[in-house]
Amino acid sequence: MVSSARTITNVPTQNLSFRSWIFYASILRMARLQPKSKIHDVVVIGSGAGGGTVVHTLTKMGVEVALLEAGPMVDPSKDFKEHMWPYEVDHRGAEEGAPYYFGRQQWPYFRAPNGFWQDEGEPYTVAPGSDFHWFRSRILGGRTNHYGRISLRFADYDFKPYSFDGLGDDWPITYEDIAPYYDKAESFIGVTGSIEGIRSAPDGIFQTCPAPKAHELLIKQACDRMGIPCIPNRRAVITKYHEGRGACHYCGQCGRGCVTASNYSSSQVQIFPAMKTGKLEIFEQAMVREILSDQNGRATAVSYIDKRTRSEKQIRCRAVVLAASACESARLLLNSKSSRFPSGLANNSGVVGRYLTDNVGLGLKGYIPSLEGMPIYDTDGMGGAHLYMPWWELDKKNKDFPRGYHIEIGGGYRMPELGSFQGAIARHGGYGKGLKSKIRKEYGAFVQFAGRGEMIPNHLSYCEIDPTVVDQWGIPVLRFHFKWSDHEWKQARHMERTFAEIIDTMGGEVVGLTTPGREGKGISVPGAIIHELGTVRMGSDPRNSALNQYCQAHEVRNLFVADAGPFVSNPDKNPTLTITALAWRTSEYLAEEMRKGHV
Amino acid sequence: MSERPEFSSHMSDISRRDLLRNIAVALTAVGTGTLEPLSAKHVHGEVGKEKKTAGAYTPKCFNQHEYATLSTLTEIIIPADDQSAGAREAGAPEFIDLLSSQNEELANIFIGGILWLDRQMQRRYSSSFLDASQVQQAEVLDLLAAASDKKKERPAYTPSEEYRGFEDYRVKQSSPLAAGTRFFQWTRRMTTDAFYTSPIGIKDIGFKGNGYANEYVVPKESIEYALERSPFGSN
Repeated sequence: MVSSARTITNVPTQNLSFRSWIFYASILRMARLQPKSKIHDVVVIGSGAGGGTVVHTLTKMGVEVALLEAGPMVDPSKDFKEHMWPYEVDHRGAEEGAPYYFGRQQWPYFRAPNGFWQDEGEPYTVAPGSDFHWFRSRILGGRTNHYGRISLRFADYDFKPYSFDGLGDDWPITYEDIAPYYDKAESFIGVTGSIEGIRSAPDGIFQTCPAPKAHELLIKQACDRMGIPCIPNRRAVITKYHEGRGACHYCGQCGRGCVTASNYSSSQVQIFPAMKTGKLEIFEQAMVREILSDQNGRATAVSYIDKRTRSEKQIRCRAVVLAASACESARLLLNSKSSRFPSGLANNSGVVGRYLTDNVGLGLKGYIPSLEGMPIYDTDGMGGAHLYMPWWELDKKNKDFPRGYHIEIGGGYRMPELGSFQGAIARHGGYGKGLKSKIRKEYGAFVQFAGRGEMIPNHLSYCEIDPTVVDQWGIPVLRFHFKWSDHEWKQARHMERTFAEIIDTMGGEVVGLTTPGREGKGISVPGAIIHELGTVRMGSDPRNSALNQYCQAHEVRNLFVADAGPFVSNPDKNPTLTITALAWRTSEYLAEEMRKGHV
Repeated sequence: MSERPEFSSHMSDISRRDLLRNIAVALTAVGTGTLEPLSAKHVHGEVGKEKKTAGAYTPKCFNQHEYATLSTLTEIIIPADDQSAGAREAGAPEFIDLLSSQNEELANIFIGGILWLDRQMQRRYSSSFLDASQVQQAEVLDLLAAASDKKKERPAYTPSEEYRGFEDYRVKQSSPLAAGTRFFQWTRRMTTDAFYTSPIGIKDIGFKGNGYANEYVVPKESIEYALERSPFGSN
């Protein structure tokens, strides 16, 4: 039985306003909370790629799961705007009050909900001298409803970066440990690709990737000349009927959410089916405040704010799986203080919040005259590109930066939207028939290249609890510290030179940055690539890691983390597929430990 | 809009009853989550129908003179030509008026801009913009375009070789019409946005997507066209 007065002993002494808040919250809790009798097998916090995979795997194995999601449920048939034309709404996507035109739009109107960079009700702070943008998506499915679906396996050396070149730390697992779970993840969610035998891009179990588009074939020709492999893209899209889901119908609108669930989203592919098992109970609008633990170091319950009533509730469980996103999970652990865990639950090592990384991003746009006047065709395809370039200089000596990056490409005849031709009218100036025909002539003749590269963890990049700020739910917020090192800056210069050379080889000219607002300083704003991770790292030594190789807390045996928090490094591969594989492995381990009575 | 067959062949076997049930289930229960393309098309078609019905638009923000001036301006910026109608018919004036009615900052840009423009026209030609001749209108707009032209700005610094192609900081040339450039740029921006997001603009540009297909095919003629003109040649 959870004692509602117990956490009064958690009062930190260093900050008066913080202490008085804790006291106030404790009073509230004593007044309102009636401990519930039901004890769930497992409480999962967060419903994105990690939470969705845990829910799917555990319910399938017969484990009862309570899923807490800080946002609302999602209804694809109503919430997804797939196939809508911009003119179907009077504001064309600028939204009521035109926030689009003043840089105040939180999230593109036609994109799958909900995402935000800044939310007045749920703020975060950034330390002076640092820069960090933190993206949140509060809705069932989280970012998987809209993400780019790029699904790349980490390579063997990605799990042993320290052994590879002496920078960073090795993971406590090897590629061989996780490979069977990459197999399971790819087989279940469906990923396109081809067998290539490239060390930096391990092969997997693939669906057929649709044929390359015309501009992509030109890019491939240029890459062939430059010795850069340009191979079928690996995206979580099904191109044939699979597990009850219809094949992709090639509208290219994955980011709007897929009404036919032909791409992977945890909401449609994992959680909705799990709801039919009778093993899953979902608590929406449940903003978790704290994980409660007892004197034996066991997690006993999760305390959350029901956003609809602004009241605090508790839910008891045998085990907790934290999958709230790397930084949100770190925040929760840091906020779960007790006499046994004075610096946060499972954080006697002090590593929670440390080793924060994001991928390095830079994009260039080029104009390709040979595409001018090409017979226009439907370039929507499966959404995103049909080709990509994995890292190609793994064995090159004398590079001036460690590790590498992969290249994502763009181009084709995109559906016009607000802003589509702003580059054209800025470059050409003027007005009238001349402007109109220039826009017509240039349509579809641009290509874009975006690098996504590895950042080496550094001691200046981390998040911690801001001692003086709480959000609208009374929960202390994160404060970010972040610095790119020379490694990342030099890598961004390499991207710039490479992209310019590809464009040049294609007979085109560099137009400029693809996203000057985000990358105008010559490297992406930290956090802006939305591959932030590493803040609850795993490791074999409890003195310098929070989790063991199964993402189980060293110090709290019934506490697991199943998002990108456990990652020890942030390779040049988008993290989602590895989140899924790792969460799958963690779930099987957890179920087995529960069966044995260890948890 | 799409010129492709709208639905895959196997979809035609679905009975209307199945279709309606499918949609009903998806609409009423979160929990099913999947819709076949045909049903998806139907659902979004319904959304489209909720849009405003056709008819004369009554400005919500601008007075009659302002709205008429704005309409003429948008049509001059993206005019009708031998391929398509212009911005006026594509709904640009309505778009700007609607958003201006919801946003004071935007309303001020346009109301103040139109007053400024009329004042310039009065000084030069003793006429409002609307009553001036097309030649006079063009004279002033050309000056405005020149004052807004980035190419005529000089760089504030010489970018290093590495930053070739990056956005440069530039210093604007001074011009007697510089005060109107913000208004002019906003009008160009929102006019092109409105035009190319309208059915007329989407057709003009030749966009062929937003459809449904069983198989993704890239036409040979497009590939050959691009390769032939590229440094790689056709092979």
